[in-house]
Amino acid sequence: MKRSILFLLFYSGLCVAQAQDAVYQQPPKEAMAYREFRQKTTIPPYGLENVKKQIAAIKDKPGESGDEGISALPDAVYQSLSPREKFTYTMIHPEMYAQNCDINMIHPNEHKEIFGYLVSEGDEETWSQRQLDFLRGNRDSVMAWIRESANRSRRMGVNYKNALVEMDAWEMIPYIIDFYTANKKDKDLLTVLMLLMKRGKFTPFVQSSSYKKLYGMEGNHERALDYNKANENLIITRAQTYYKKRKHS
Amino acid sequence: MKTTGLLFLLLYCTRVYSQEQSFIKIPGGTYEIGLKGSVENPLRRVTVNAFSIAATELTNAEFERFVLATGYQTEAERFKDALVFEPGLEEFRWLDDSTAYWRYPNGIARGGITRKMNHPVTGISFTDALAYCKWAEVRLPTLEEWEIAARAGSPTKYFKGVTAENISRYANIWLGHDHLQADSTDGFMYTAPVASFKPNPLGLYDVFGNVFEFCSGSLPRDKGRRVAHARGGSWWCSKHACNFFNAVDIGSVNPHASFSNLGFRIVKDAGGM
Repeated sequence: MKRSILFLLFYSGLCVAQAQDAVYQQPPKEAMAYREFRQKTTIPPYGLENVKKQIAAIKDKPGESGDEGISALPDAVYQSLSPREKFTYTMIHPEMYAQNCDINMIHPNEHKEIFGYLVSEGDEETWSQRQLDFLRGNRDSVMAWIRESANRSRRMGVNYKNALVEMDAWEMIPYIIDFYTANKKDKDLLTVLMLLMKRGKFTPFVQSSSYKKLYGMEGNHERALDYNKANENLIITRAQTYYKKRKHS
Repeated sequence: MKTTGLLFLLLYCTRVYSQEQSFIKIPGGTYEIGLKGSVENPLRRVTVNAFSIAATELTNAEFERFVLATGYQTEAERFKDALVFEPGLEEFRWLDDSTAYWRYPNGIARGGITRKMNHPVTGISFTDALAYCKWAEVRLPTLEEWEIAARAGSPTKYFKGVTAENISRYANIWLGHDHLQADSTDGFMYTAPVASFKPNPLGLYDVFGNVFEFCSGSLPRDKGRRVAHARGGSWWCSKHACNFFNAVDIGSVNPHASFSNLGFRIVKDAGGM
């Protein structure tokens, strides 16, 4: 290709510099603080001392550097933990690599929005299959421990919320609604309600405009609904209906 | 950067590229990178020395030469902890497959690379990429260098000509709504041969999509931990899930993790340009 043609191409490109990203504004402090709140995890108290001791004894597989390599408990040690300790271990020590694609692009109105998905919780790690199997295989107990722990600390970290979604903990819907309405600070609890309805393919929700916006063909992991009374009520009412339907089915 | 400077950069890089097919020379200077409002990659000016960056991602053939010359064993081979993909997995889910490594990036059951030697190498970790660089006497681009080369002077998060609507002409990405069903609508479900899609104005291929590209550097969000960063998106990324196939966003991964959508592009110091 001749240089003159390239010159024209490049010059024309420079003249029509796009401004599509000029809409981004520095997020206000409230939005930054709310993102930090959304990312917080809860450390369960059950057997915490022993679990921490076992984790500290793990020899990193990459070995030489001991620098954040994946570090799962050996199976024998893992099996020796009590169920409550396994729960604590799972909540504080995801044992599988994850890609964290999210650059943490905080929405300017993050604190005034209800997101379709929870934020990624654990740096570059996620739950392994044995950890997911544990959560799903002991869902009654796990739900009870989450409830007990959340009642004590009066908050529910993103790891607890993710566990509820992974376990399809629809039985927790009334509790989640009560927990949310106590102070309405954690709008991600509304997200959990929506994710549970999505998981259960609850028809009134799947056919709703909210679903289309968050999870439909134009939806993506950054989409959110405006936080307002109407949206809040709609999510809660739908979740209550879903709970009742599922309980009596 | 002023318009005249941009013009110079673009013309200069094009001239050099026409003389040398595999590397693009980027002159030293001050460049504007980042995006207004981005917490992790804010709009700012950075000054870099001249460098030469590979026009394409490193291929399986090139990585094989390294392995044959050194007998190097990748981390996935040693620890059998590579993460692989197959359609049907929920969003952001990967399978732990003990058979997977760079010769079988999605596990032996999903086929090898015999007929994919011109595809980017994957199933390797950041640590493995550094080992290759040491042997080849090259290095990974810094986060800043990668962005300067990828944006080619564009003030937006795409290089000139690319929009969210037409990006599939420039990038091997996942076009399906989710990952439950296989998607090969652009001809490739996993990686594509390097340079299968349109290049950026400087002649860099596969800047967006195909594989996430390891870079050197750290971010405030690392909080002092040793974290590997990758940029540009991959064949796995879709606008519905990991919508970060652009020149601004930066991914993070454990330095020892091996995924079938993570690879790299190499850089040489230009020296004295």
